[in-house]
Amino acid sequence: MIEVRNLTKRYGSNVALDDISFSVEEGTVLGFLGPNGAGKSTTMNIITGYLSASDGSVTVDGLDTLDHPNEVKRKIGYLPEQPPLYQDMTVKEYLNFMYELKKVTLPKKKHIGEICSLVKIENVYGRLIANLSKGYRQRVGIAQALLGNPPVLILDEPTVGLDPKQIIEIRNLVQNLGRSHTVILSSHILPEVQAVCERVVVINNGRLVADGTPDNLSQEMTGNHKLVVRMAGREQEIRSGLLGLSRVKEVASLGSKEPGACDFSVEAEPGVDLRRDLFALASRSGWPILGLKNNDLTLEDVFLRLTGGGYEMPAGKKEAAKK
Amino acid sequence: MKAIYKRELRSYFASPIGYVCIAILLALFGFYYYLVMQYRSTSYISSVYSTMFIWCMMVVPILTMRSMSDDQRNKTDQALLTAPVGVTGIVLGKFLACFTVFAVAILGSLLPAVVLSFVSSLKWVTVLGTVLGALFYGGAMIAIGVFISSLTQSQIIAAIGTFGASMFLLIIDQLSGTVTDPVISKVITWISFNSRYRPFTNGVFNISSIVFFLSIMAVFVFLTARRLESKRWS
Repeated sequence: MIEVRNLTKRYGSNVALDDISFSVEEGTVLGFLGPNGAGKSTTMNIITGYLSASDGSVTVDGLDTLDHPNEVKRKIGYLPEQPPLYQDMTVKEYLNFMYELKKVTLPKKKHIGEICSLVKIENVYGRLIANLSKGYRQRVGIAQALLGNPPVLILDEPTVGLDPKQIIEIRNLVQNLGRSHTVILSSHILPEVQAVCERVVVINNGRLVADGTPDNLSQEMTGNHKLVVRMAGREQEIRSGLLGLSRVKEVASLGSKEPGACDFSVEAEPGVDLRRDLFALASRSGWPILGLKNNDLTLEDVFLRLTGGGYEMPAGKKEAAKK
Repeated sequence: MKAIYKRELRSYFASPIGYVCIAILLALFGFYYYLVMQYRSTSYISSVYSTMFIWCMMVVPILTMRSMSDDQRNKTDQALLTAPVGVTGIVLGKFLACFTVFAVAILGSLLPAVVLSFVSSLKWVTVLGTVLGALFYGGAMIAIGVFISSLTQSQIIAAIGTFGASMFLLIIDQLSGTVTDPVISKVITWISFNSRYRPFTNGVFNISSIVFFLSIMAVFVFLTARRLESKRWS
């Protein structure tokens, strides 16, 4: 649905985006991650046609943004970082204005009514935008993006400045929209991306540093599996039992957190899944497994590692992302 | 373009700015009409307009100052530029909204003339010619003002810049008298908005002046559109 190819943006000698390529399938929710100033908003502004790229191209639904600006703009609903709201208008006037500006052809009253109930702004419909709280302004911004039911939605940090309840509402809304729309959502809040997005693109300093599903990314970064297991029995016995397993690299005792049981961190050789072996050992020796969890990195760790520098995307992945 | 025109026009009257500008102009018009009627005769009506002219030009910067700069400051230009409308449509919508407010004030000033026409015989040709000339001159000034407003995010700078431009065009006439070089003096008279405007006040429908003012409008609408477009590349 969206193809971004070798996108580069320079401001004078300052390179804001450096050769970014990725594509988004129809009906996907793509999370766009990066620290502040990484180039998220710049990329979104280029996709929506607000800025132009110094180099590279963007196609939406097979149409180039430069060759067919108006057709592409019609397909995209955009919520910029700061919602583009006219303070001197009421919500009603504003949405009607945007409806006309976007040349929407759907039945006006019904369409606007549906959107208002979707983002829950009916109760402020007649109020001046200048008097609305940040949360409501954000929602009016989302409503504006939804006008005309565009197949692509681009939301730049849609949950910034909202309270926790509103954040959950907006996330659910985005998730629901993701079923029928292609969504690009930028954020630096990781749990949000993990909760909502099927795919994550991480950029840092204008470069693409990772591209994959949230789970893939955290696995890829850890390299080998680490398990944390809690077994009932004597610490020394279990420890030597675990070390006796083939393909175990390291066992660290984490102490006892439950009476009569001990926690161990078990690291396997690369690419080995130890869970079955652990179960077999436990049943053989009569040490019931009371808990077992994957100690893979969270997306948060991945993000910090990726954006902290020192990590280059594996060459194969980079090629795949470029295609 | 229509949506933007409607929104802009609404915003002039949602804030007091449109009312205040029109009210002040009409009050001043009324005052000068009164003076003329008190001391002179109806044949001096066009002198009302020539006196009022400078006031009108002072109001133009107030009308145009926020037209483009406000959008940049509030980031609402993101909504306009990512909507399926061309930049020329955006600029035209804003220009026409500005012009409409100005035109309401100017046409409103005809009310006293209409009333007078019941009790005396007016020279309608000169009155209408003057009004038409004011509309063209004002339109050209508004196009310049909208352009200046697109150059800055600050309304104040836009207003003062436009004010300066309009003052320059008013005084450039006086300059032509002091310049001895015939070429420069010719150029000055050619640029001078005043010398283009004067035939209208005598009731002369001067095609070349009309073309001149329309061209100024077109050029500055075009420049403003280019300016909007260029921001995408900066």
